[in-house]
Amino acid sequence: MLDPIQSEANQIIKQLETDLEKGNLDQTKYLGKRGLFRKLAQKIKDVPPEKRQQAGKLINQVKKTLETKVRQHLKTPSIPTNSIDLTTPGEKPKVGHLHPISQAIEEISRIFERIGFIRVRYPEVDWDWYVFESLNMPPNHPARDEWETFFVDRPDTTGEIEYDERDPRKRHPSLIGGGKLVLTTHTSNSQVREMERLKKPPIRMINIARCYRRQQDATHTQMFHQFEGLVIDKNITIQDLKGTLNYFAKKFYGPEVKSRIRPFHFRFTEPSFEVDFSCHICGGTGKVNGKKCKLCKSGWHEVGGAGMVHPNVLKAGGIDPDKYTGFAFGWGVERTYTLKPGLNIDDIRQFYGNKVEFLKQF
Amino acid sequence: MNILIPHTWLLEHLKTKATPKQIRTQLSLSGPSVERIEEREGEEVYDIEITTNRVDVMSVRGVAQEAAVILDNAGIEAELKPLKLPKLTELKPHRPTKSLPKITNQPKHIKRIMTVVLSGINTTATPAWMARRLKQIDQNVHWAAIDITNYITHELGHPCHAFDYDKIMALGGEIIVDEAKKGERFETLDGETYQAVGGEIVFRAKDGTIIDLPAIKGTANTAVDENTQNILFWIENMDAKKVRFASMTHDIRTVAAQLNEKHVDPYLAEPTLALGIKLYQEIVGAQVASQVHDEFPSKKEPQQVKVPLKVFERYLGLKLETAVIIKILSRLGCQVKQAGQDLLITPPTYRQHDLKIPADFVEEVARIYGYHNLPDKIMGGPLPLKRPDNDTFDLEEKIRHFLADVGLYEVYTYSLVSEKLALESGFPLESHLKLANPLTDDKVYLRRSLLPSLNQVIATNPTHKDLKVFELAKVYHPKGNKTERPEEVMILALSFRAGYRKARGIIEALFDRLFIYEYDFVLDEDQNKAKIVAKKESRLVELGSISLVSYQLRSTQDNKDWLVNAQIDLNSLAQVIHKHPRYQKLPKTSPVIEDLTFAIPKKVRVGEVIKAIKQTSPLIQEVRLKDIYKDRYTFTIYYLDQKENLSDKDIIPLRKKIITHLTYDFDCKLIGQMAS
Repeated sequence: MLDPIQSEANQIIKQLETDLEKGNLDQTKYLGKRGLFRKLAQKIKDVPPEKRQQAGKLINQVKKTLETKVRQHLKTPSIPTNSIDLTTPGEKPKVGHLHPISQAIEEISRIFERIGFIRVRYPEVDWDWYVFESLNMPPNHPARDEWETFFVDRPDTTGEIEYDERDPRKRHPSLIGGGKLVLTTHTSNSQVREMERLKKPPIRMINIARCYRRQQDATHTQMFHQFEGLVIDKNITIQDLKGTLNYFAKKFYGPEVKSRIRPFHFRFTEPSFEVDFSCHICGGTGKVNGKKCKLCKSGWHEVGGAGMVHPNVLKAGGIDPDKYTGFAFGWGVERTYTLKPGLNIDDIRQFYGNKVEFLKQF
Repeated sequence: MNILIPHTWLLEHLKTKATPKQIRTQLSLSGPSVERIEEREGEEVYDIEITTNRVDVMSVRGVAQEAAVILDNAGIEAELKPLKLPKLTELKPHRPTKSLPKITNQPKHIKRIMTVVLSGINTTATPAWMARRLKQIDQNVHWAAIDITNYITHELGHPCHAFDYDKIMALGGEIIVDEAKKGERFETLDGETYQAVGGEIVFRAKDGTIIDLPAIKGTANTAVDENTQNILFWIENMDAKKVRFASMTHDIRTVAAQLNEKHVDPYLAEPTLALGIKLYQEIVGAQVASQVHDEFPSKKEPQQVKVPLKVFERYLGLKLETAVIIKILSRLGCQVKQAGQDLLITPPTYRQHDLKIPADFVEEVARIYGYHNLPDKIMGGPLPLKRPDNDTFDLEEKIRHFLADVGLYEVYTYSLVSEKLALESGFPLESHLKLANPLTDDKVYLRRSLLPSLNQVIATNPTHKDLKVFELAKVYHPKGNKTERPEEVMILALSFRAGYRKARGIIEALFDRLFIYEYDFVLDEDQNKAKIVAKKESRLVELGSISLVSYQLRSTQDNKDWLVNAQIDLNSLAQVIHKHPRYQKLPKTSPVIEDLTFAIPKKVRVGEVIKAIKQTSPLIQEVRLKDIYKDRYTFTIYYLDQKENLSDKDIIPLRKKIITHLTYDFDCKLIGQMAS
């Protein structure tokens, strides 16, 4: 009495296989509520009771076979040929863009964080004392001329206390009702502020912030970004500064780039240096195929200033210059970034022009 | 300050076979930076940046002196040539002699005066060789009697001046050093008139007339002109601060002022006077007509500095032989004595303002030794661990990346804004910090809101019809107390040229990403603005706001659009975010999901309706607005019981409750038939 069930089962399986070959399998046709298997299973009631157990086994086997075949099929779905043209362009999701300065800042932060620097943020509108005086730049000193300073239109509360090079904290803002308010011309106001925050070394600081100078042309905007590094501890030497600069140059521009320091003068460092990076185009030779390198003209790019922290600055920050030494460096973010290969942006005003055509390239 | 030095002029002071290129390289590595070599008048001219501390190098002689040491140390033979000048003590005045004017000095202001009368001045043209050099260094060529003073200043680095001797004598024959009084007028030799602010050092004639602005610029009433027959060749060494004060106050930035404000060496006066006499004799046929007058009341000898030898090691990280250190310093003109473990160093007179502390001498030794000869390393030692309290850098980075990834453009706009943008902030103009010395009209105020700047960015990109931008930057709020610094607050600002739902959705998605669980947009009295709030424990923190603004997108009057603006205070945001989610066990049951559509009257706020649906039962897990068509709003409602699967039996009463609530309390009307 099992034969009819067996032969019908065989038929169903054969049919399924044919459908599979054609690639148009509708599984409900076999396994759905009103599917062929259900119909087959219902036939069990025509089977005499003594054979039902056997029939049940058979039917179960059929079900397994059907299910396995269907499952296998679902795992390797067949794609109808020619229905999708693979040369059709993709549909990109709408994405925006990070500003190039953010990208530069992130990269710079990462590089210094890896060697233990802590990123900080300090005022952009700050007392003259932090921006100049604590940095060994007395009022009206010619060294201040380089910094085309914006002043905030507010009364100067400095009063009568005379500037004293030996005791720079005499005119600390907390003692003179602030003093004169300026827009930070550099990120170096963070130096004494960080010494005041940590009170004692070790200090490894990176400060990246907006700076302001009263100048405007293709290579200067009234606002720009700088990053400032400061390291203070026992036994910090020029060698550590050189090593740190070289490490940055290689990480930021590539392993073949070198850095060098040359003498310079800043009131807040002694010795002071100008920092150059070798040109990645000509490899520091100044020549490409026997001709003058168009990017650097001399083999090197001047990127910024550095130096060993001046003892007066340490004193201003309440740190004993006989115990500790340190170094500091500060450069423009825009300039540092545009020296990367392929980013020769000749007009830095573009960074603040915010044209979509510019931004979307980054 | 940059200085131009023609190569052949340099070679008059420097004996070397070094090529201009070698000179450039070596000077830049160990001394002043040679920025370029230019071809001028058929010759190489160095353009050299001299730092403000090295006024002793701001001359041809000064560069030669520096180059001699640097080149020699680099293994290129070089030597400073001696100056060949007449000996002042051997000068015999030519008869008939002329009497010097009576000079009344104030020694605290003028440290040294050297002067001599030169007679028989002809209006000779400047000789071609001198004119060529003056042109090479960007100086105007007048005639010899004047040009000689400029030439000498450039050659030796000490400014000098030629008065018309007869004009001085006609004014009473006196030179009185004095401070100007407020309001006094004087006319400089180029015809500009100035009014003194008081305290400028001036020279007066007997009757009080100002006859010179010393160390800065001459005045018209004593200037050399084409009729001048006798000159008073004059050198003064004035207090640098006083020079700086008058020069900056009146913005008279002559070469003389720029040198004199930096402590020119008073000992340079002698060779300067001698060179002046020599050149006036040779070029214009002048004769010495008086004794040389020299008063040097405040002679200051350089101070000896004690420098422990270990300081060099402390900075350089290596031990140099003492002999090497002494050799370098001696070559640079220092007198060095060793006393045990210390060096006693006396700098030369021309560097006494520059070499004062041990670190200054370290720099001298290190640069000549060569920075490139020092190894590189990265410091060891303990790392600082205490981070600043206001550290939101990670949060900012997360926000930036998320917003850029979902289609927004990050922009950087100026913190300084115009009056127009300041006003658009909604804060009164006078409540902004204002610059005392703005450079341009569009950057005068420190902004109190980023939004006007962002809206301007959208306006400058009119063709990008669905532009969405954001910026993370500070705003600056002045404090009532004028002796406090302004408050600087980090803000995330967003401006969308997009529908409200899209804009708000981006903010909501951002909040989800930052694991902020309970936040809300609370309508303000102004119907076009809502507060953004979030819960921190049991209290509500106000994060910022979202608003609709109409905005002029192009220059034409009628082309207005509306934008969605939002701003969020970073520090407040930092209080309500979480760095990781609150994990919830995966549900064992499945939600029942259904859509309900209601017609909602205009006066009713859809936000309130959604809240009402949610509050119907704790079994309503989520309500989403699926669609809006005219006044019809379709909501997708998720019913979920964590314990067991809900059946129709559970849902029907809930649904009824929702419908009743919305119908009676909100005047809404259910659309379509619901299966019972």
